Amino acid sequence: MGSSARKKAEKKKDFQKPKYKVGKAKPKASNFTDTSFKSKAIVMNQQSLSTIAPDVVQQFKHNLSLASSSRSDKQRRDALAYLTSQLSSHPPVNPVGTNILLSKLLPLISDSSTPVRSQLLKLLRTLPEDEAKHSTEQAIMFIRAGMTHLSADISGDSLGVMEWLLDVAEDELVTIPGGWVKTLSTFCVTMGWSLSSAAPGWTSAPRTGLRAKDAQTLARQISTLSRFLQAGLKSETAAAPGPEEYWDNLYRLPRSSNAFEYLNLLGSRRDEEGEMYPNREARQQVFYRRFFDPVTKGIEKVKKEGGAAGRAAVGLDQVLKDGMGDYAASAGMDAQDLLNLW
Amino acid sequence: MVKRKVAALEKIDADFASLQYKIRRDPKSYKDDFLKQWEQYEAQREIFFMSPTTAAADSVESFHNMIDLIAHVADCYPEETQTFPDDLKAIVSQNHETLHHELRDKVVGSLVLLRRKEVIDSTSLLTTLFPILVSSRSKSMREMLFQKILSDMRNSNSKSTNHPLNRTIQAVLYNLVTADRASPRAIWAIKLTRELWKRQVWTDAKPVDVMKEACLADNEKVIIGAVRFFLGGDKEREELEDESSDEEIDLAKVKHQITINKKSRKQKEAYKKAVDKVKRQEKKKSKPHPLNFSALHLLHDPQEFADQLFTKHLQSTKNKLSLDTKLLVLQLITRLVGLHKLTIVPLYSWFIKYLTPKQQSVTSILASLAQGVHNLVPPDALEPLIQKIANEFVSEASASEVAAVGLNAIREICSRQSLAMTETLLQDLVQYRKSKDKGVMMAAKGLLSLYREVGAEMLKKRDRGKDAAMGLSSGLMKQRKFGEEEVGGIEGLDLLAKWKEEQRKRKRAEKGLPEDGSDASDDEKDKDEDGFNSDEWEVGSEDSSDSGEWINVEHSSDEDEPAPKKRKGEEDGDEDNAEDEAAELERMTKLATTTILTPADLAKLQELRAAASVQKAMGGKFRKRQQQNPDGPTHADDGLTAENIEAPIRLRKLTKEEKVALAKEGKPDRDEHKSTQAIRKSKKDAAGKSTSNREKQRKKNFLMTLGKAKSKQKRSLIETRKVLKGHVERSTRGGRRRNDQEREIDKFDVEQIKQHVASVKL
Repeated sequence: MGSSARKKAEKKKDFQKPKYKVGKAKPKASNFTDTSFKSKAIVMNQQSLSTIAPDVVQQFKHNLSLASSSRSDKQRRDALAYLTSQLSSHPPVNPVGTNILLSKLLPLISDSSTPVRSQLLKLLRTLPEDEAKHSTEQAIMFIRAGMTHLSADISGDSLGVMEWLLDVAEDELVTIPGGWVKTLSTFCVTMGWSLSSAAPGWTSAPRTGLRAKDAQTLARQISTLSRFLQAGLKSETAAAPGPEEYWDNLYRLPRSSNAFEYLNLLGSRRDEEGEMYPNREARQQVFYRRFFDPVTKGIEKVKKEGGAAGRAAVGLDQVLKDGMGDYAASAGMDAQDLLNLW
Repeated sequence: MVKRKVAALEKIDADFASLQYKIRRDPKSYKDDFLKQWEQYEAQREIFFMSPTTAAADSVESFHNMIDLIAHVADCYPEETQTFPDDLKAIVSQNHETLHHELRDKVVGSLVLLRRKEVIDSTSLLTTLFPILVSSRSKSMREMLFQKILSDMRNSNSKSTNHPLNRTIQAVLYNLVTADRASPRAIWAIKLTRELWKRQVWTDAKPVDVMKEACLADNEKVIIGAVRFFLGGDKEREELEDESSDEEIDLAKVKHQITINKKSRKQKEAYKKAVDKVKRQEKKKSKPHPLNFSALHLLHDPQEFADQLFTKHLQSTKNKLSLDTKLLVLQLITRLVGLHKLTIVPLYSWFIKYLTPKQQSVTSILASLAQGVHNLVPPDALEPLIQKIANEFVSEASASEVAAVGLNAIREICSRQSLAMTETLLQDLVQYRKSKDKGVMMAAKGLLSLYREVGAEMLKKRDRGKDAAMGLSSGLMKQRKFGEEEVGGIEGLDLLAKWKEEQRKRKRAEKGLPEDGSDASDDEKDKDEDGFNSDEWEVGSEDSSDSGEWINVEHSSDEDEPAPKKRKGEEDGDEDNAEDEAAELERMTKLATTTILTPADLAKLQELRAAASVQKAMGGKFRKRQQQNPDGPTHADDGLTAENIEAPIRLRKLTKEEKVALAKEGKPDRDEHKSTQAIRKSKKDAAGKSTSNREKQRKKNFLMTLGKAKSKQKRSLIETRKVLKGHVERSTRGGRRRNDQEREIDKFDVEQIKQHVASVKL
């Protein structure tokens, strides 16, 4: 049943003989392949012919490119795991160098898949500290982007990367251009401590927005911020002047990557945010002017809420007292004041 | 940029669309979220600027998203996003060559969006986009930028003309054109100007100035663009205007549609839109027509311009313009010369070497030559040209087409400067009217009829024709001297005078007065009675009555006191036709010089003119004459084209397709062979119209008609009479049935029967 006329006809078609006609070309077979074209080159899409297995360097590079640009998140994670194992072996295998490795992998801070991000953090931990230092400027950009990401998971995980960076290069972090002010404002924004003075007489409810911030994240943010502030506001002790320092200053080549960066000879003109704050006093000054009020207000608010976040806020308060205790508000002429005069 | 797949959960998390929606709905509450995104934007920007050229697809995409979001909510937080427009401008103007194309388009789109939200003003937007448009190497980018710039210009000029913006942009364009004359960048200035000119956004002299400078460029493309603007820009503008006024909306139809289809908000809005459009159109109609001068008229110092064009592009031997370009430039120069009556004497001698039948596109050159002639060109400069055309083109040995072209060209030249012709040559050329070829014959006849009007004494006596011979003998017709101008008049003024006279006569006849009488009091009475009388407007009504007095051709005996001198003229007019014409002319001018034409008069004049032109078109005799003289109906401002020169040839050389097309013109569309009735019917069906009563009758189901037929047979006499009477009654009323007709007839019948019965009884 159900075999319609159409189906019958279809069946029949298979057994029909083709009709040949005089003066007409023979009909082409159904599996006919046109071979009339001529080509000088044949392009093969996938080809992996090699008599020898890829060496370690090749494999490393391949995995690096997979990790940075593969479409599948599993592949990315696996590639990262491979890289981690290579880097943590003794002696560590790193044919491309930490700097290039970081520049390829740092965009993964805002990766959409959680396993990839956690694997990335593991990889970062295996990197040698003194080499990772030089990529601080690049790293902090991606971390800032990650911290302000719309997705809560990503912004939470990027706090972990921030902690790594604080472990690795806290001095560089607070002195590089934009490292101090921009990072601070990112912290304030993520915690919802508004920087701009709102219209007088109106206060916005603290927990409006897309989703209620859970206390856990807030506590973590506050503790990271307190570490960051600690790094920036810790008292500096001048190194004891060595006998050769004077001559070194005059005749030896500087060892750091961009020794005269503070002069900003080649870059574009920096504003207050992008400026370098090389010493504690400068950092204190700008912190006092821009962040002190919102941060103290925020601390008060969180303290009242108590819990894990409240405890973290107490810690932050302590850091603030230690760091800013010796700061006198009118400590002298500020560069910004001079600029404003202009 | 293939979008990376996002997990379902994450989608909810990182949904820019919903965030945007929420922010726009309640900016204050979502300020924190916005600030976070702003930080994100800043971070992304930083990352992006680290290496704009080699940015990864991911970072490009996230930056793209951030820009999109911020641009959409920028108007909610003007303080926080103060730097945003400048950032975008910097990004696109510094990196437009290297940016990823989607990001680049997004940045431009965001800038335009900011403009629409009035975050930035048009000037800053356009001054950002225009340099990119000029320098960009990407075609799609240029296309998009051009569209955006154009639409922004139109938008900012839509409500009222934005003079400061226009001035700025015009200055930018002018500088672009004049800064580097050899660069092809000026083509954008031309494109923009032309488009805005076409849409009547720019109608003043400044854009014309830009185009003028572009004409004098060194780049061939630029020259072509600018010259084409002068030659065709105004026509384009007119066409666009016609097009836009053509589309009309039938409100009733839209309303009807709404009653039929499902009612929805969409439909309601569509109706509202249609009403708006109709209203706007009506408003537009009632508005006075904007006075738009053509680009050629707005030119400042056309003499200088034409001189420069000629010396730079045509006369100098150094330039390498192609012939087509040269022809275009030549067309423009001659157009200017003809229109503004400029004097460029070397122009005419330049033509000499191109006047051979073998020259490529010689008809266009000939047309240009004719176009560049006006009555102030010295005849000496033209004489050798005409001689050369005659020698090269018009001979028994040359092909008939060539001869026709030559004769036509000579006629066109001579119609503009008749003094350029010598007597012997003219008489020679006129001989060609006996040619067997139709084109040559018509061309020669055209020349002959031209000279009958403008220089009959140069023709042989037997060629002059009746009118010219009579005109010559009466001395009325004279060849105009060099530099002599024709006395101008108002077209149709004689018609108005005639009409006024008739009105007056009619009114007098109504009152029983003699038709030709005249007194002032009479006139005044007229005014009181007749509301429509246009004399009410007149200031010097006495003058008009005076002028009316002597015009009358009809001579009546009881005329009061006509002035003797005028009367004499009248009698002469009876005798001599030519004299009468002269009087007519005088009368015509007098009406204009002695009275002030009122608005009513002018309206009537317009009406009369239109009526006369209709009559002309209807009358066979006149039409024929007009065909012979093809430049009759064309306006003096219109240029002459090669087709005008070739016209008769075209007639002869029609291909079959052209002939069929000509024959089909104006006839109903006929896809298949059907009767005209059938075609009409199918058209009616297609238009959704119903059938006629007759058709309904014919198509009625047979079974339905049976019952009526049966009952018809059974009708009584009285019933039959009733029906017949009803039929007669209806036919007097045009076949229409009244609502209660039947009943009335019944009553009528009953009464009649009663009467009848009574009479029988008696």
